[in-house]
Amino acid sequence: MRVFVDPDLCEGHSKCEKSAPAVFEVRDDDLSYVLLDPVPEEHREGVERAVRVCPRGAIAMTEDNE
Amino acid sequence: MTQVTLKPEDINLNDPEIFERNQAHQVFDYLRNNEPIHWNPEGERNVGYWNITKYEDVMFISRNPELFISSKGITSFYPKDESELDEQMSGNGKMLITMDPPRHVRLRRLVNKGFTPRAVNAMEDHIREITNQVLDDVAKKGRCDFVLDVASQLPLAVICGMMGLEKKDWPYMFELTNKVLGQGDPEYQTDAPEELRGTPEGARIAGQMGTMQMFGFFAQQLQDRKEHRKDDLISLLVDSEVDGQHLTDEDILWFCFLLILAGNETTRNAISGGLLALSEHPDQRQQLQNDMSMLPTAIEEILRWVSPVTHMARVATQDVEIRGTTIKEGQRVVMWYPSVNRDEDIFPNPHTFDITRQPNDHLAFGIGEHFCLGAGFARLELKVMFEELFRRFPDIEKDGEPERLRSTFIGGIKHMPVKFTPEA
Repeated sequence: MRVFVDPDLCEGHSKCEKSAPAVFEVRDDDLSYVLLDPVPEEHREGVERAVRVCPRGAIAMTEDNE
Repeated sequence: MTQVTLKPEDINLNDPEIFERNQAHQVFDYLRNNEPIHWNPEGERNVGYWNITKYEDVMFISRNPELFISSKGITSFYPKDESELDEQMSGNGKMLITMDPPRHVRLRRLVNKGFTPRAVNAMEDHIREITNQVLDDVAKKGRCDFVLDVASQLPLAVICGMMGLEKKDWPYMFELTNKVLGQGDPEYQTDAPEELRGTPEGARIAGQMGTMQMFGFFAQQLQDRKEHRKDDLISLLVDSEVDGQHLTDEDILWFCFLLILAGNETTRNAISGGLLALSEHPDQRQQLQNDMSMLPTAIEEILRWVSPVTHMARVATQDVEIRGTTIKEGQRVVMWYPSVNRDEDIFPNPHTFDITRQPNDHLAFGIGEHFCLGAGFARLELKVMFEELFRRFPDIEKDGEPERLRSTFIGGIKHMPVKFTPEA
């Protein structure tokens, strides 16, 4: 899967980092960055949780075959 | 608490007494389990609307801001006779909270750097200093009105400070906030003739006067900042541009209006409601006071439990089916946060106040496009307040019954007498 953070929406709440620490990193500019591309399947649960709990709805994921 | 037997046709959340008497959870429990999407009948002056009481449905609506817009007003009240809606006074479409994408994001980005977790945390020492000044003022008395003397003072000082307002103006901001957001409560209808207090007309007068007075005040502030910039949010707005255009005076005034209201009413009620919840659950309180490292999860539980903003409304831009019910284009949906935050499908034992609850994905700040801009400040103010409060007044307790606000929009407490061992 591939994961994207919309920098216009992200406000650095860091819920994604807590949900999937291997995938997301919130840096000094208060934006979350995706560390892996593509994101290995083992992180699916964490990423799905990140998408769900992101306060701003800033995270999107696509499947490899899309 | 009196038990009431409910029937869907009797349920009418236009009635502020349900909230004033603290009976809303009985209604919400019933709706979630029997009619989670419930048509609320129209009032004498306002249109009917759908009550949305399940967590997943509020998530869906919040995540689709184009399908469910905010620019037709964000409270449950919308007049049947649209000529009653004073466009100038309603603020619909003019503030972040009543604005839709894409303009919403652009305007929000002007200020959101000042509200990110990092920016907020940099304010911790400052917030602790204010908190201790607030507590100093009551420390020797041993009793006070917790809402007026403590809970309201911290958020008021923080937001007024960020907006560069002088201390002499803070009590006036408190008074006007109460008139606007507490307009349904006779206590704040001081601008209405005595015989109208406690009536819908009294509420209309209080809200309108409060809004006009707020605009008068901020128009002066704006003029002052145009002449002398300061390091504050108003000056920042004066110099801001969206799509290459400066904000109009009207844009800035509505921005100020929103910041001052949202910044001081909601956190006040989370602090008061938090102390009340802890007092009513002495075992939880003891656990927390024994180990203050539990405060972060305790604060999330307070937010879930209190849900200081009771609802946000949206209007459907096309027919949408939710849970088998068709919401028609143009109809109003009202998302009830106290209800979704006790949704049995999401929170095990939802009516148990548990300061260790995890996960705790409550929606007290909303979610999505309009997620509360000030959430970071609210959390930090709660943290510092309870740390300092329990450090200095560990035996603080209720000294009488709290008086709740008569409002369907704000889950507020107006007064709460407390006592504690005075500092020497």
